Amino acid sequence: MARINTSREDNPVLDTVSVWLYVLLVIIGLISVYSATSEVNQTFQFSFSSIAGRQLIWIGGAVIIILTIAFANVAIIDYFAYGFYGFAILLNIAVLFLGKEVSGAKSWFGFGGFGIQPSEFAKVATALAIAKYLGTYGIRFKGTRNVVITMSLFLTPMLLILAQNDTGSALVFLSFFLVLYREGLPGWILLSAVWLIVIAIARIVMEATGISHLWTMGTLSLLAALIVYFGRKNRQLIIATLFVAAASAVFSVAVGFAYTKILKGYQRDRIELVLNLKQDTRNMGYNLEQSRIAIGAGQFVGRGFLKGTQTKMGFVPEQHTDFIFCTIGEEWGFVGVLVFFGLYFGLLFRIVTLAERQSTAFGRVLGYGVVCILFFHVAINIGMTIGIIPVIGIPLPFISFGGSSLWAFTLLLFLFLKVDEKRR
Amino acid sequence: MDLHRNRKFVYLGLFSLVALVYLIQIFRLQILDDHYEQKAINNALNKIPIYPDRSIIYDRNGKLLVHNIAMYDLIVFPAKAKGIDTAQFCEIMKISGEDYHKYMATARENSKKRQKNNVFNGSAVFMSNLSKEQYSAIQENLYRFPGFSVEPKTDRLYAVKGGAHMLGYLGEASKKLLAKDPYYRPGDLVGVTGIEHTYEAYIRGVKGVKTVWQDRTYTERGEAKDNEFNSPAQAGPDFYSSIDFDLQEFGESLLANKRGSVVAIEPSTGEILALINKPDYDPNLLVGEARARSFRQLLIDPKKPLYNRAIKGVYPPGSTFKTVMALIGCQEGVLKPSTTHGCSGGYHLGSLTVGCHPHPSPTDLKGSIGISCNAYYCQLFRDIIDNPRYPNVKTGYAALEKHLRSFGLGSKLGVDLPGENKGNVPTIKQLDKRHGKSWKSSMIISLAIGQGEILLTPMQMANCAAIIANKGWFITPHLVKGIGVKKYLPDEFKKKHYTTVSELYYDWIINGMEMVTKPGGTAFGTGINDIVICSKTGTAQNPHGQDHSLYIAFAPREKPKIAIAVIVENGGYGATWAAPIANLMIENYLNRGKEPQRPDMLERIRTSTVN
Repeated sequence: MARINTSREDNPVLDTVSVWLYVLLVIIGLISVYSATSEVNQTFQFSFSSIAGRQLIWIGGAVIIILTIAFANVAIIDYFAYGFYGFAILLNIAVLFLGKEVSGAKSWFGFGGFGIQPSEFAKVATALAIAKYLGTYGIRFKGTRNVVITMSLFLTPMLLILAQNDTGSALVFLSFFLVLYREGLPGWILLSAVWLIVIAIARIVMEATGISHLWTMGTLSLLAALIVYFGRKNRQLIIATLFVAAASAVFSVAVGFAYTKILKGYQRDRIELVLNLKQDTRNMGYNLEQSRIAIGAGQFVGRGFLKGTQTKMGFVPEQHTDFIFCTIGEEWGFVGVLVFFGLYFGLLFRIVTLAERQSTAFGRVLGYGVVCILFFHVAINIGMTIGIIPVIGIPLPFISFGGSSLWAFTLLLFLFLKVDEKRR
Repeated sequence: MDLHRNRKFVYLGLFSLVALVYLIQIFRLQILDDHYEQKAINNALNKIPIYPDRSIIYDRNGKLLVHNIAMYDLIVFPAKAKGIDTAQFCEIMKISGEDYHKYMATARENSKKRQKNNVFNGSAVFMSNLSKEQYSAIQENLYRFPGFSVEPKTDRLYAVKGGAHMLGYLGEASKKLLAKDPYYRPGDLVGVTGIEHTYEAYIRGVKGVKTVWQDRTYTERGEAKDNEFNSPAQAGPDFYSSIDFDLQEFGESLLANKRGSVVAIEPSTGEILALINKPDYDPNLLVGEARARSFRQLLIDPKKPLYNRAIKGVYPPGSTFKTVMALIGCQEGVLKPSTTHGCSGGYHLGSLTVGCHPHPSPTDLKGSIGISCNAYYCQLFRDIIDNPRYPNVKTGYAALEKHLRSFGLGSKLGVDLPGENKGNVPTIKQLDKRHGKSWKSSMIISLAIGQGEILLTPMQMANCAAIIANKGWFITPHLVKGIGVKKYLPDEFKKKHYTTVSELYYDWIINGMEMVTKPGGTAFGTGINDIVICSKTGTAQNPHGQDHSLYIAFAPREKPKIAIAVIVENGGYGATWAAPIANLMIENYLNRGKEPQRPDMLERIRTSTVN
């Protein structure tokens, strides 16, 4: 699969390193899904109706997708980018009316036993559309019109998916901010985002422990006063500092309000559990604890293939989908995790390298789109299983069971690899 | 055109940072904290006990006494028992709806406790010891009742109808025991009395453990093979009792329709050959689902069938005690075979009179035992404690008391049965309290003839007979002959306990005991021709009614094989009931396989009722 010879041009193959890393990750995923859904120490048994069997069918579909892309003309990708985007937007609107509800979210089209989640494909379409837009001759991520159009390209599907009540998938679209940084989004905006997250977390901690807003105000005033004192010769700095302090104070109050008045109880629970503000051995806290137990039980070399009791006996929730990383951690231990991280982050690094060697903005933006989406998923998903990020239900790309996500990520990666193959 | 090329390092840095932070957190979970593996094991492993068979109990000749039968407990996991058609369930199990809710409430409570301990899953016994009908009915219908399951265990099956008091019975582990010993689970059967109780630790065997995987909903997900916790159940080792069950059964038939007790001991080993109490009960009453009900009935039965007189009942030893007094007299140097005392219808001292039956007078030591002269022993008693060797009566009495205690009297013998009574050898303190500080020998003279404050269990009486047979020592009487293939016998049943009376004097007393069944003896006419029986009758005054009929004996004189004590409550003279019963049992034991010499006597004893 790695050496698909398509033409006699300069780069006759898809990037070998990426393809191999992809193949290894998908195989690890299949093994993990098989293990997560079998009995302890079960002898090998396989059927296409089992979950692992269905994953294998999905993988078969992914191979067809890869072959199709490999033999397709690269111009099609560019040509149909907007069309694909428009189609994805339509599907995501349609699913609001025609979709079936799965655990509270209306984000699935059901076809008999199988389902398709249009939000997964919206990621691909959005990455393509933004790449296409920013790749258009004469357009850069600068100027109000361009910025607004770029932002609407990914905020539109994000809002639609929020409307589907699939918060996790919607949040993924925030990763496009990361993409835009490469295209010139000022660093201070991202830094502000980080600053706001710090303020928000601080406020939530205070809110949950009953500390008054006055403390926030006091701390902010003190910080601002210090900066103003040491930079008193720089007028601009003083103005900026005062502005930031005032904005932060307003934001802090807003977060406090949103946290107590807008967020639902279970959402607050998730956040508080991760911030260690709450001990809960039932429900969500139980799930998180079980997830940590699963990974912790793996120790150095793991409990062995098919020997992970945590992940097979239903202690860990969503053991073959969102929490699939627990199976890797429990059965293969720290050694397995190191290998897995090596492969995964290896792929991310590789894609950055590929993106950087693109001669077109289209290729580069698409590459960064791919890597940022993947990174966002990995960071959120694994962070959630090891208890440092609140539970947000998004899959681990290539590993979690599920056709929509596997196909969408395959499509995403290989469209870019195809573009990379034909780079000039 | 590309102004931000260097920003790629921000991405690489961000990815690396996240990877690093995550790896550190995973390192903490997997390597630094080693509690998680145990937590995972506690989550998923359920240890299910496998019940072993209890020991099979045989008598000394290898006759099967007690074995096992498969029984079933109905187990429920309350959290899963949802939507049960209670009416149908009760119909099938033949229980009332009230019972159902009562059982379920108990099970729920136990289930909670167990989950708290995190040792087993939350299942608990709903009903134990199902009847055959209940078992087959529920087995067919289990699928209708989620959360219910049937767990096998074994219960006792008795091959014999007698021996109830020495075998003992099983009962469900008490709350106290459950709290004390984690080996037991609610509903487990444990030995409550008898051999079953004393040797519980051996007889119960060793429970096995089957570990199974269980998922979050406590549903079993297959056996955990090669698990370190797995172990097979080990059946209790074969238990050989010292009882001669043929003798036991024979004795029980003699004591039928009477109230009393028989204890027979093999003197050389201390092995108990027979331990009989009447009234008694059929041990088969206390098994299976009828156990609790039968037990309640037996408990309130005014005839006290559960009462183990042989070790719990205390009686004044009456004239049988004269043998011991004579031995002590010899040891104290105040009695020789040639010592004679006259008897004029009793012992007279001032206003005090201890009556005696008419007999030739005077008598020597041998004669005094043969005809059981009261006057002789009153004189002897005074000679012992008023001995000028001793400064006063209390030091004299102290010497007597010390001798008595060396016969195992006034304290528990240490028989391998629970609840043994100490009996009573009055202490000086007791006598002070009863008679005032300045008592004299004449005031406690009834002790001379085994009356008054002196109290013995039938076991102690039989042990006295064994001591005389052994000429000065005994081994603590016991019901165990050997446990398991190696016939293990606890060390305490190998040790000889010596009395303070020298071996030299025993023959003098035995000479007299040989006279008892001979012409002129108190039990003449109850003897067995070809066996030299050495014995002593007793008639214990009983303030509550008719005298108790007592008899101790051993036989044959040379190399004694059996020592025996018989008490028939309210039976009157020792020679009337106790002596024939003991002698017939001696014959049964020593002349096994021969025609009984005294079919008339046998028939009379068997068919008589004594109340």
